[in-house]
Amino acid sequence: MTNNKFILQRLALGQKYLEQLDDSGYTLVDMNMIEPFSIDDKYHHPTSVVFERNNAMYAIRSDWTRTLLNFNSNFYSDDKRFGYFGPVVRENESFYQAGAEIYKAAEKDIIEALLMHMNFVEECAETQIKTLVINNDQLIDLFIEKYKLPDSVRQLIYTKNISELRQQLGKDHDLYKIMSAKVSDQFKMVSEIFGDTEVMQAITHLKAKISSQDRKFILDLSFRSPQNYYNGLYFQAFLNSNSPILSGGQYNSNAFGIALNLTDGGLL
Amino acid sequence: MITVALSKGRLFDDFVSYLEKYELYKYSKVLKDESRALYTIVDNIRFIFAKGPDVPVYVERGVADIGIVGSDIIEEEVFSYLNVSELPFGKCHFALAGPPDVEHFNTVASKYTNIARNYFNEQQQPVSLIHLNGSVELAPILGLADGIVDIVQTGNTLRDNGLLEYERILDVQARLIANKQTFYTKEDSIYEFLSEIGVIG
Repeated sequence: MTNNKFILQRLALGQKYLEQLDDSGYTLVDMNMIEPFSIDDKYHHPTSVVFERNNAMYAIRSDWTRTLLNFNSNFYSDDKRFGYFGPVVRENESFYQAGAEIYKAAEKDIIEALLMHMNFVEECAETQIKTLVINNDQLIDLFIEKYKLPDSVRQLIYTKNISELRQQLGKDHDLYKIMSAKVSDQFKMVSEIFGDTEVMQAITHLKAKISSQDRKFILDLSFRSPQNYYNGLYFQAFLNSNSPILSGGQYNSNAFGIALNLTDGGLL
Repeated sequence: MITVALSKGRLFDDFVSYLEKYELYKYSKVLKDESRALYTIVDNIRFIFAKGPDVPVYVERGVADIGIVGSDIIEEEVFSYLNVSELPFGKCHFALAGPPDVEHFNTVASKYTNIARNYFNEQQQPVSLIHLNGSVELAPILGLADGIVDIVQTGNTLRDNGLLEYERILDVQARLIANKQTFYTKEDSIYEFLSEIGVIG
């Protein structure tokens, strides 16, 4: 594809996406790429490029979620659903991102937003999303609590260190069996242990709504989101690319964000 | 089709021996014959041959789905991948070594300066580190450093150069690493290979 076509196609996708959000009642937002920044934010946004001017700290936008939080704290908006399209800069690279943020998001809002985005992607790509991977760190808390495991087991789970888990837990331990099984079997295995918990109920409802014959729904305890501010359910969805086309999750107490990758997610 | 990145050198020979131990001759025979090629294909597996430090790069970027690499490489640099399993070969260790009668190490040379820095930080021992790309045993002999941090296999190289091992720092062995995304998208083929070589099951 020539560069001209690539640029135009990305803009067309961004416009089509924003129009869909507009039709669905979202408030569209565009903001300055230079944002006030507190050094405390660096923990949640480690890739932000930060600089100083006139004794104040600023950052180039690295994440629209933070931009939207700034927008709401500055303008005291009562709106609950926002949409955006534009570049972000992480480390030394810029990416195009489109997405939506929902505040006070109930389970049905999350499912509705996810379905809308998956349908949008599949309509544009003219193919189904192949894989959706999901996790919630609270599941690891449940394992640690139930089996009285040391906190260091988290790192072994995150890196899928099967050999060390076998050594520390033994090959008959439930957690080892789950971690060494195929990732597509994890949902069923975790459900058998924690199926009646609120966390697994939410994942089960989501699976029921979005699974289909051609779409693989994977719960993987090792799956980590690149955004470390998610503190509930988080996910990534893949077309045929190694990079996710959709990613998002729950943050703060009841906010939910979802982003469409318009750089290398497989739509262009 | 999945792609497996193999580290060239001693680890490659050890991996071939490991395959033979598991009677996986369909792989070992082809790999032995292709030692000078860039890649080879056996059934549903493409093996690519890379320098050890490049294996995590191929895996992180998704060019390879799986990598076989020494833990020395993955301890020294930070990459993003799944650190799936240790493998029962490629065993050796990092050591602090130097000429006899060194009372205090002030300057230490190493190819693995991150591992060396972590060690001395844990010991709360301030040292000056010098990065070298190889033949680090020369550094104390020529007076560039008081000692070295390097991988020790048999200890013969240290002895041949009149150096002693002062501290064993970290055990090293082969590890199997995997790309984070293709672990989902190529799940069946990856698990079949992991099961075939005895990593799971």
